[in-house]
Amino acid sequence: MLNATILLQILWTSLATSSYYVLFAVAFALVLKVTRIFNFAQAAIMTVAFYSAFVTVQWLEWPAWAAFVVMMAITLAASFALERIGFEALRKRGVSVMFVFVFTFMVSEFVAYLAMLAFGTWPQTIFPTIFWPVTLVGNIAISAWDLPAIGATIVMLALLFSFMRFTRMGQFMVGVADNPDLAELYGVNKRQIFLVTVLMAGALVAVGMFLYGTRAQVLPQTGLSLMLFAIAATIIGGIGNLAGAAIAAVILGVIQNSSILVIPSEWQGLLLYVFLFLAIVFFPNGLRMPRRRRRFATATRDIGDNQDVSAAEGQV
Amino acid sequence: MEYIDGIIIIVGLYVILATSFNLIIGYGGLVSIAHPVFFALGAYTSAILARNFGLPVPLAMVAGMVVALVASVALVLPTLRVSGDYLLIASIGFQLGVLEIIKNVRFTGGAGGYTNIPPFLIRDFGREAYVALVLAVMVAVILLVRLVARSDYGRAMSAMRDDELAFASLGRNAMWMKLAIFGLGSGLAGLAGALYAHYFRFITPEQFEILQSSAILTMVVVGGMRTTWGPIVGALLLEALPQAITFLNLPPSILGPIQGLLFTGLVLVFMFFRPQGLVPAENVWRGGGGETR
Repeated sequence: MLNATILLQILWTSLATSSYYVLFAVAFALVLKVTRIFNFAQAAIMTVAFYSAFVTVQWLEWPAWAAFVVMMAITLAASFALERIGFEALRKRGVSVMFVFVFTFMVSEFVAYLAMLAFGTWPQTIFPTIFWPVTLVGNIAISAWDLPAIGATIVMLALLFSFMRFTRMGQFMVGVADNPDLAELYGVNKRQIFLVTVLMAGALVAVGMFLYGTRAQVLPQTGLSLMLFAIAATIIGGIGNLAGAAIAAVILGVIQNSSILVIPSEWQGLLLYVFLFLAIVFFPNGLRMPRRRRRFATATRDIGDNQDVSAAEGQV
Repeated sequence: MEYIDGIIIIVGLYVILATSFNLIIGYGGLVSIAHPVFFALGAYTSAILARNFGLPVPLAMVAGMVVALVASVALVLPTLRVSGDYLLIASIGFQLGVLEIIKNVRFTGGAGGYTNIPPFLIRDFGREAYVALVLAVMVAVILLVRLVARSDYGRAMSAMRDDELAFASLGRNAMWMKLAIFGLGSGLAGLAGALYAHYFRFITPEQFEILQSSAILTMVVVGGMRTTWGPIVGALLLEALPQAITFLNLPPSILGPIQGLLFTGLVLVFMFFRPQGLVPAENVWRGGGGETR
């Protein structure tokens, strides 16, 4: 029963569906890197994004492109409010990490209950159907959703990368991520950089949610589990490492989708929590490739690395 | 009378939950949302042992408490070894994961719930006896947490919470203390679960969802962290509010989200405008270190 065609099919489909996982993971990792906030409110942003697209298409019956524009605008506005009303006040007060955790998590839950009240607890999609026409390439079915999704993800990642690499603002972001106070001494406007970061994460989430909502059903609580997936990928990818988070998201997405071959479908939901737990317990500092050959130059650096690790362990 | 008895028992159990959660998040400074899952583990363990294995109910209740305690150690031990910051994330995963398991295995009754749980005390001594039992346990839990918080151990706890490095450098083991706090708090939640199961005699996984996490957290934050009276006031207030809402006769599909909005909204409002809660203790939300007294 299991042959090359089925394997390739599963591999292709899971690669395509991991496109939105990548966007969510990179958004989460970006906010964590620059602002050092575990932004659990990302689930709230996801919920806002999805339901604004849902309302424009299903209730107002606007075309898809208009829905996307409205969705992007509302998502960015929500991200703006989160940063300026929420995070900024917390930063000024100098509250503990625990406070920020609880605050962002409660924001997500609050928005989820709001969505339940407004849209009910049954699954919704952006367009009336989530079935896309399929073309056979070889023996593999490629749906009309797959290629645009992968394309959109690559475009977003390329934009993010060029922004951080080649623009002044992007380099300031890296500086603030490294040392916010030092960056400020050099004349970087920290407040502005934090805002730009949260807005960019909002844009990534909006694109990701548009992809997700055109292919799968969404409940008010869906944002939370999608975000947990992003957290697992962020941790495995190594905190502060955006490329790592993206790659980890693809790998986790492929594992989750191909698990259908070995695990009964009702247990698939559990896999996410297993990922999360394994990520925290075994890869808290991210997955690192084992280094086989040590040349002199890297050997000295490794010693430095090891010292860091032992110092970190000493704190626990 | 039966209605009033039910309400007294529910309020009593929530006082136990809020007080034990205050021990974990307030005194211990350990951020977790998984408290309802230990409540669930206590309830399910006790119910299954009593119904399927014919264990006497008091023994089953103790077993429920022990299972909750052991499960909490299983959550905390690997997580805290890494870093305290990861505990919240792990606890979300743990909570949802355990509920997912309960929904999918057969011997818990699945998503439909577990029915016909053997009653305790009610047949021989009447409902009032059970009310008295719950209230007695409640008072005992309050006194126990108060005793722990005010003892030498409690002062050591606040030292650990405020500056773990200094605490460790005095030769104290912070890991052990966190384990003990989390285990004790979760065990008490398990006991509350067992008490719930043998009175109401029906439990479903959806009773222990994140709505409950928000509810318990709200009770502690709104009432006031690190105080004896805070969680009690919080539990009384937040159990009274939803009871009042039920009199409006709303359909359940609206009632659930409204309760959720109430709980999460109250936490947010209090975090912004009165972070110390109704019964204030000093310096509750300040970051560790840097404090001078």
